[in-house]
Amino acid sequence: MVPSAEALSNRGPAAARWLIAGSLWLLAVAGGFGALLRYASTPAPQDDAPPGQWPAATALTRSDDRSQLLLFAHPHCPCTRASVAELARLMGRFHDRLDARVLVVQPPGAGDGWADSALRERASAIPGVRVSIDGDGVEARRFGAIASGTVLVYDASGRLLFHGGITASRGHEGQSFGQQRIASLLTTGKADSDQAPVFGCVLFDGETSRARRQPHVDS
Amino acid sequence: MSTADWVTAATDVIVQRANERLEAHRRALFEGTDRLFAWLMAGQWLFGILVAHFFSPYGWEGKVKTVHFHVWVAVLLGGALSSLPIALALLRPGWWVTRHVIAASQMLWSALLIHLSGGRIETHFHVFASLGILAFYRDWRVLGTATTVVIADHLARGILWPESVYGIVNPEWWRFLEHAFWVVFALAFLIWAGRKSLREMEQIAEGGAQLEALAEHEWRRTSVLERTAAG
Repeated sequence: MVPSAEALSNRGPAAARWLIAGSLWLLAVAGGFGALLRYASTPAPQDDAPPGQWPAATALTRSDDRSQLLLFAHPHCPCTRASVAELARLMGRFHDRLDARVLVVQPPGAGDGWADSALRERASAIPGVRVSIDGDGVEARRFGAIASGTVLVYDASGRLLFHGGITASRGHEGQSFGQQRIASLLTTGKADSDQAPVFGCVLFDGETSRARRQPHVDS
Repeated sequence: MSTADWVTAATDVIVQRANERLEAHRRALFEGTDRLFAWLMAGQWLFGILVAHFFSPYGWEGKVKTVHFHVWVAVLLGGALSSLPIALALLRPGWWVTRHVIAASQMLWSALLIHLSGGRIETHFHVFASLGILAFYRDWRVLGTATTVVIADHLARGILWPESVYGIVNPEWWRFLEHAFWVVFALAFLIWAGRKSLREMEQIAEGGAQLEALAEHEWRRTSVLERTAAG
């Protein structure tokens, strides 16, 4: 089909307009995916020094024949859904070596029923996992957990083996360095590192700015 | 004009008419598929917002909740992703650029939906469903564009953030080839089916052109007879 003269004369400017639109589109899409990648891979603020030994002041009981895993969870944090799913996988593999406990953190001032959530139910459904509410986040503060999804593993003698997250990025299920290190510590007693970044919501109001201003004081 | 010349001329007319019919058919196919994708792009945008709203409606800091970043991403990035393909499909349907932009955008939608659903393995099926729908164009080049985008995405994320693509932290170097193999596996059959379908379109066009020529010949013959009878 032969294009009309008018179509031919319009082709140049029209093609240029589409080229500009396409370039802007590419920039917008690349920028959007870049922002998404950055968001997904930016960890939450994390305490540098959780208690190296099981704190004597804690009200939590610890298993003395298995390693103790603690997972601090914000009940409404969507990223922590992946942490709970990964905890289920860890427990499926190491249920005979781990005593796991999920602490659903209720920040100060939160009303009754605030900790009731699908995430809490999901954690309760994992075989071998105890779930309890951490009123006012007392235990989270004691163990230096700032972000939802923080996992601490203590050995049977009460020595801290691992602290950090068990997801590879925000809200993404799948293998992570945290899981690999916990698995390695439980099976061989050593790992290339004893920590991993945590990807999750901040547990307490205003903690993001506070965590950046001052280091946590161990209690 | 000799009989041979007449046959050659008639054949040329039929071939030209068959080509015209084939081009018209392909253009209608391209335009129709472009319009289908315009709807699909709009639907995916809404679906992406729903997925973000369902999986991650709010981000939290203690008791303070804010609209989750994923919701903004679904609205803004999803909107951007669908905007150019929809504009092209509505304003320039049938243009070759339109279907290639649609192919690239469709594969980027797969990446976005995988993100928004928290990396669910099930959402990866969107890649293969998209290749199947893009095959409606019956143009292997469109599938080539889609595959290039998938490969580029896998390569880039495989280097920067391998667990988001492969679900494991330290994938073997050849893991990328395993993913590519299954895409090529699907493509091989889709391209074969597309070419087969194109051949059928060519046969239909030829058949239609021959029928047209016969009808025209019959009309001329009847006209001559009628004029002769009238004269």
